[in-house]
Amino acid sequence: MQKENSNTWFLPETISSDHLIKEISKQFSVQIKPQQKTTVTYFDTFDWRLYRKNHLFYRVNQFWKLLRCDSGEVVTTFCEMNFSPRRFAWEFPASPMKTLLKSTLGVRGLLSLVVFETLSICVRILNTDEKTVAYIHVKTQKVKADNKIFRTVRLEGVQGYESSARKLGQFLHRCGITDPAPPVYLFKEGVSAIGRLPLDYSSKFSIELKPTLSTRQAARAIFGQLLDTMRQNEAGIREDIDSEFLHDFRVAIRRTRSGLTQLKGVLPPKITETMKNELAYLGRITGPTRDLDVYLLYEENYLSRLPGVLREGLAGFFTEMTDRRYREREKMIDALQSPRYRKIISGWQAYLDGDDGDEPSRHSERPVYESARKIIYRRYRRIMKKGGAIGPSSPDEDLHRLRIQCKKLRYSLEFFSSLFSPEEIARVIKQLKGLQTNLGDFNDLSVQQDMLQDYLSTIGPGSDKEIELAAAIGGLLTNLHHEQKDVRNRFVATFGKFSGSKNSKLFSKLFG
Amino acid sequence: MSIIAVSNIKGGVGKTATAVNLAYLSAVDGINTLLCDMDSQGSASYYFRIRPKKKFNTKKFLKGGKHIDRNIRGTDYPGLDLLPADFSFRNIDIALDGLKKSTQRIGKILVPLRREYGCIFLDCPPNVTLLSENIFHAADIILIPLIPTTLSILALKKLLGFLGKMNYRRFKVMVFFSMVEKRKKMHVEMMQRISKDHRILPIAIPYLADVEKMGVYRQPVTAARPGSVATTAYQNLWTEIRKHLER
Repeated sequence: MQKENSNTWFLPETISSDHLIKEISKQFSVQIKPQQKTTVTYFDTFDWRLYRKNHLFYRVNQFWKLLRCDSGEVVTTFCEMNFSPRRFAWEFPASPMKTLLKSTLGVRGLLSLVVFETLSICVRILNTDEKTVAYIHVKTQKVKADNKIFRTVRLEGVQGYESSARKLGQFLHRCGITDPAPPVYLFKEGVSAIGRLPLDYSSKFSIELKPTLSTRQAARAIFGQLLDTMRQNEAGIREDIDSEFLHDFRVAIRRTRSGLTQLKGVLPPKITETMKNELAYLGRITGPTRDLDVYLLYEENYLSRLPGVLREGLAGFFTEMTDRRYREREKMIDALQSPRYRKIISGWQAYLDGDDGDEPSRHSERPVYESARKIIYRRYRRIMKKGGAIGPSSPDEDLHRLRIQCKKLRYSLEFFSSLFSPEEIARVIKQLKGLQTNLGDFNDLSVQQDMLQDYLSTIGPGSDKEIELAAAIGGLLTNLHHEQKDVRNRFVATFGKFSGSKNSKLFSKLFG
Repeated sequence: MSIIAVSNIKGGVGKTATAVNLAYLSAVDGINTLLCDMDSQGSASYYFRIRPKKKFNTKKFLKGGKHIDRNIRGTDYPGLDLLPADFSFRNIDIALDGLKKSTQRIGKILVPLRREYGCIFLDCPPNVTLLSENIFHAADIILIPLIPTTLSILALKKLLGFLGKMNYRRFKVMVFFSMVEKRKKMHVEMMQRISKDHRILPIAIPYLADVEKMGVYRQPVTAARPGSVATTAYQNLWTEIRKHLER
């Protein structure tokens, strides 16, 4: 297996590349290839999905390469003669690399994060048959964003000629080339040039709160972080890189709104009222685009639900959704660039950054630990009551309401998780997650059926194409309906698990 | 994951040149490629300037596993490795004969390598022996270079007859014309006569000095002379084979 890490070193400033090459030629039989200029581009998603999995992914010449961050081992390479820009995993040709990317990237798109402009000289080390037994690459790598320069030496062995590589390694060591330069180091340097840090963004919410903070101080910190999330996603939404930017943006809005409702009497009433209204507005202007994003992501799923004969009919549906999304997105972008939007964001930011001079309200000075327990436990009890009352004949509406309650509980657990024992919070969230999945699936399936029914009612009588389309939608509706029934049937068991005595003991111990 | 055996009963028909150049083109296409030199003469190894390690021999080869891994060597071209032949391979038939399931040994040895390489080329010695039978057993494609002369066609018929008798016909036979000299009337006539057979590819590699000079350069002609007639001819052959591999 090729390694690109353990055998790359920095070239000390005291040694020029020419001098090094001269020294190598004195000791070994060599062939020196002319200097080559290449561009190395590193990719990752906005939320570092590859880096998180210990992967570095880059393109050099016609090769896409995926390395392990820690060892520098090449996991897989993929060769593509003609460069075509690719953003999503599904755009790669079938290969082990595609499979790996698909499982890692999900729906996220690749961003080109770091570009190195590299000048490299390759020295081939030859044996008496003039066979190449090792390579030495002397490189000058320039970070495109800030022109920072790194000079490195890489020793590349050839399988079956390990002893030659060993000898060369010892030779380089004697020359004073001993400071390792792993690719991940260069990657981090390059990333810092664009003002980012690996793992500086995650769509998961996490915040460290001191238990001694007042509830208002904690609220400011929580809302401040959510506002950061919104701002961090603005550029990605504008550039339409992938659907997750908008999604994360909207989740941050929802979390803030839920926080404002749950932290009653913590911020001044006027601020709470205004922000609730303004955030509801932001939810409204971003909603239609998000809905269409979701429908478009269903494409593969929908096709797999239909028998072959009905699949073709769906093409028209997705074309129309794409058109609609285009129009809705235009409207949304206009709204996001409007003075009103800028005023909402800057006003909220100014309030959160401001000092605590404004007058206290009913619960603002209560220690956050106390408020957290109250808020969480109250929500939990309500879920237990409402959920326990749901039977096989209860209306669907009840499940939808319970879903919202669960979401609120989840958000507050996440806001305040740092105040409790991490293992116990993890257990609580895991149990809740199971219930949320069931309720979420149920809701998704009914939203989809509503949407398809609406769509069906717009199809007029007409050509064969329309008949095919209507047949496909009909097929889908049936299929989704059956699945929804299954999900609903599983509810009682799922809720039973959540409301079990072990879990309720844990809740009352932590929050009661 | 394909195994391509380049084989013929006759010697000097361009087997090694074919295996060496196709393996190189496969690696250039980004396919991780292994060339196994099965001919004790070691010509393919010679072309790549690779000698087997001192401790490598028939016995080690037939043990397979790590004994093979240790003896695979990288060529001067990225993505192309070679398992060199040892002179002891001349007695490989005797060694095979003493083993159980003597026709399936090589196939077994190649199983772990199939995972690592996208394409494995086998450069076979000129004859039909137990070793060849092993190779046919393992191969996905049996590629036969044919010089369009009477005796060569006679030898081809014998080989095809033998392959026909093997009842596990999972391989595909592909024949192409090799060392063709257009100015020789017999070559042209022979090619016309048998070209209707569906196993014969519409590809002819001409007789070229560049190919012969590979022994001097010790490089595949496709690497040393990328724009040459010889390179184009091998490229056409490779394109034709890839079409089949992609199916």
